[in-house]
Amino acid sequence: MIAAIIVPIVVVVAIIIILLLAGVGIYNGIVTLRNRIDNAWSQIDVQLRKRYDLIPNLVETVKGYAAHERETLEKVIQARALGIDAKSVGDQSKAENMITSTLKSLFAVAEQYPNLKADQHFTKLMEELNGIESNIAYARQFYNDSVLQYNTKIQTFPGNIFAGWYKFTAREYFEITEPEARGPVKVQF
Amino acid sequence: MYNRIASNRRKTIFIIFAFVIFITALGFAIGYFIDYRYGINSGYSILLMVFALIIAVVMSFSSYYWSDRLVLGLTGAVPLSREENPREYYMVEGLAIAAGLPMPRVYVIEEPGMNAFATGRNPQNSVIALTRGIMNNLNDEELKGVIAHELSHIKNHDILLQTIIVVLVGMVTIISNIFFRSMFFGGGRRSSSSSRESGSGGLISVIFLAIGLVLIMLSPLIALLIRFAVSRQREYLADANGAMITRYPAGLANALKKLSAYSEVRTANNATEHIFIASPFGKNSKVAFSGLFNSHPPLQERIKRLEEMSLGIGIKSESAIQDEIKFKDGA
Repeated sequence: MIAAIIVPIVVVVAIIIILLLAGVGIYNGIVTLRNRIDNAWSQIDVQLRKRYDLIPNLVETVKGYAAHERETLEKVIQARALGIDAKSVGDQSKAENMITSTLKSLFAVAEQYPNLKADQHFTKLMEELNGIESNIAYARQFYNDSVLQYNTKIQTFPGNIFAGWYKFTAREYFEITEPEARGPVKVQF
Repeated sequence: MYNRIASNRRKTIFIIFAFVIFITALGFAIGYFIDYRYGINSGYSILLMVFALIIAVVMSFSSYYWSDRLVLGLTGAVPLSREENPREYYMVEGLAIAAGLPMPRVYVIEEPGMNAFATGRNPQNSVIALTRGIMNNLNDEELKGVIAHELSHIKNHDILLQTIIVVLVGMVTIISNIFFRSMFFGGGRRSSSSSRESGSGGLISVIFLAIGLVLIMLSPLIALLIRFAVSRQREYLADANGAMITRYPAGLANALKKLSAYSEVRTANNATEHIFIASPFGKNSKVAFSGLFNSHPPLQERIKRLEEMSLGIGIKSESAIQDEIKFKDGA
């Protein structure tokens, strides 16, 4: 008689506990992924800051040899200022694309000044810049991978239920507009 | 991926237990023989067993903290200077960012053969070592493939297990070598002295010889243990994960093709063999049991899988690749 009451209760309690534990697991999984995105973003930020610090130096060096290329130089400075002020991921990626393209026209200008190209300080800055740019690309890759994982998790079952309850919203990708800015291969996921 | 980390932890604990039990049993065995010689109640078996247990535990703990240094010392790796090798530094730094890992320390082995390995106890304390040969002979995309492969070992927490195996298995190999040598040198002395003094010296030699023989017979078993712990699957997995970091499987595939021609590292031995990306023994190796200890899957097969990935990567989503990795891993 007692068994007939206890067994169903035990079964129900066990199911509830299992569901709760599974829920905790899913919730923690989502939060972990979200934190990874923030960490990935700070990695991008570190690299971007390195580039911001380097640009004034680079502009000064170019000015020493090609002062009358004012327009090109100013565009670089403007793009940099835009990048520093950017608030959202979208603005930031737009500004970074602008910096990359203005720097490209700066290098095109530099090509016409053999003395500048021979300048040791300039070559060193260029080397550093190349290193930072590839690090930005890698940091962006890790960031976008993290966003992909997180967005997939909160948009598929059962993560989407938790996303509704706890207001997990999809994150923005760090986009690049120029295809050649990407590494040696272009992979579309 | 987290299953892999957990499985590595389990295996590490298992290997340490096996080692402690093995050394303790060895201490007991030696003590037992001495007891047998001097009378059952002399208590050497317990004394030596406790002594061996303490040594084994201390060695296990120290191998957790310092085994990376030992591995680097054994293979003759020295820190690589950033100023003189900016190319390698930028690559490691960038790929570590792409993998979401802290920057590992970079070491170089001054060897002309092309090889590489990773060591350390966790991602925060990790090292990537490259031979001079691999730095000089691979182009950027190939070297990135190799570095990404090593970073995957770090990310999957393979490095602690691999490194602990080097130390603990290496220790067993050294002990068996000591006993094995005593068979020849001690054995030779025994035959000349046995005519003068009968008994104790002779008996000890016989005991050492017996233990040496047992250990020699055990070495295939140890090799089997390494194979169990360092399954070939983890090399395939690190290849696949590495290719996901660089997004360019052909880079690593081409690197492995070059490595297959000349991956010899003269400072490698049976204990350190399994940590390298490709077998550090040449085709006509003089190291004993080198075939037996060879824990690497055939390079041809690894290249083939990477090339298949390279064909498929354009149309597959990341989760499909993840699933494929899981499937290939047998998990």
